[in-house]
Amino acid sequence: MSILNNGDLMRKRRLVFLGLAIGFAVSTSSLHAHPMDEQNAAFVQAVDGVAIFPFMYLGAKHMVTGYDHLLFLVGVIFFLYKIKDVVLYVSLFTLGHSATLLFGVLTNIGANAYIVDAIIGLSVVYKAFDNLGGFERVFQVRPNPKTAVLVFGLFHGFGLATKVQEFTLSQTGLITNMLSFNLGVEVGQFLALAMVLIGFTYWRKRDSFGQYAFATNVALMTAGFVLAGNQMLGYVFYS
Amino acid sequence: MSELSPKPSARRLVWVTIASFLVAVAVVIGVVLPAEYGLDPLGTGSAFGLLGLSRVQPIAPEETEYKTDVLELELAPTEWVESTYRLVEGASMLFSWEATGAVSFNFHSAPDGAPPGYAESFDAEETDRANGSYIAPFSGIHGWYWENLGSDYVTIRLATAGFYGEAHLARDRVTGVRPLRDARGKLLDQPDE
Repeated sequence: MSILNNGDLMRKRRLVFLGLAIGFAVSTSSLHAHPMDEQNAAFVQAVDGVAIFPFMYLGAKHMVTGYDHLLFLVGVIFFLYKIKDVVLYVSLFTLGHSATLLFGVLTNIGANAYIVDAIIGLSVVYKAFDNLGGFERVFQVRPNPKTAVLVFGLFHGFGLATKVQEFTLSQTGLITNMLSFNLGVEVGQFLALAMVLIGFTYWRKRDSFGQYAFATNVALMTAGFVLAGNQMLGYVFYS
Repeated sequence: MSELSPKPSARRLVWVTIASFLVAVAVVIGVVLPAEYGLDPLGTGSAFGLLGLSRVQPIAPEETEYKTDVLELELAPTEWVESTYRLVEGASMLFSWEATGAVSFNFHSAPDGAPPGYAESFDAEETDRANGSYIAPFSGIHGWYWENLGSDYVTIRLATAGFYGEAHLARDRVTGVRPLRDARGKLLDQPDE
């Protein structure tokens, strides 16, 4: 660690860092957390029959460009050093995500997309607060993190199911298409996770990981609040 | 699972959570509200020029010549006709057509350089009218195929306006370039008399 790292400099750096994180959250926050492009939407509606690869692609795209999922995953693996733990937690998330996506679409049960997305934003807040040790320190009780990741996985999948249902989907090949979509979600999640893990492996070897772990989780929490607030506005104005 | 060291105090955690929440509220009200919903309670939207983002861009300038056209034709039972326009990629066209009886139609486009007979279909139905706008996804020939599946004569009247080139007509044994006409059937590319 450099001798220049006195308190003032650290504080300044943290402020800059926090600013960047908020900038990121704002620049990526749009009306829908998962913008399915208009062309994609038109395609999904026009499809009649089995279309395995287009739906796989849409699923993967959803995951790689769905920053609320990505932020949640960053939160989840932040303090997971062992690959075994990463696999366990991500599998729990996937289990939850897949279950509600398939269940929601096949039974045609949906909720308000803005409310679900606001909850997903709050899942980021939750995970960041958990990483900060907030539950132990402030409430003296920490919810089981494995259960929590499973439950939030259920919400994430439900959010997607709700969005997919906004399109009038053809019943022909629906199950195959949804399974393809879900498979694509896993492929996309794997790709996104690989990128995040590469970044974390690099970062953890450095002193800055310890220095900014606190600031990063605070920024993550702020981004989660912004995402949730954005969705609440959507609910107020469009529902 | 490793955690933060040193562990932050409960006081600091509460403080930082409240601060994080307040920053998020400020960002949502000061930035997202004007940028996405066009509301500007704090005046930050106009100060930072964010208000324009929430508006639909009302004007899309076009560079090619503006044209209008009206086509009226009669289809005998089982007869078909294809009426198309040349549009370059991104060029737009408004259209409205009406038939005196239900016809089977297909709106399709053949990209330049595509093999003969190849076309991408965008809309197909059996109906007696359709209105809308079209933006060419690629340069080529774009238009309607109508077929009279009934047992009576049907008259179709198509009116278009937009940024297209020449019109083509293909029916049974006649195929070729068709001059554009106005609503009274007067030729549009002829000088006024």
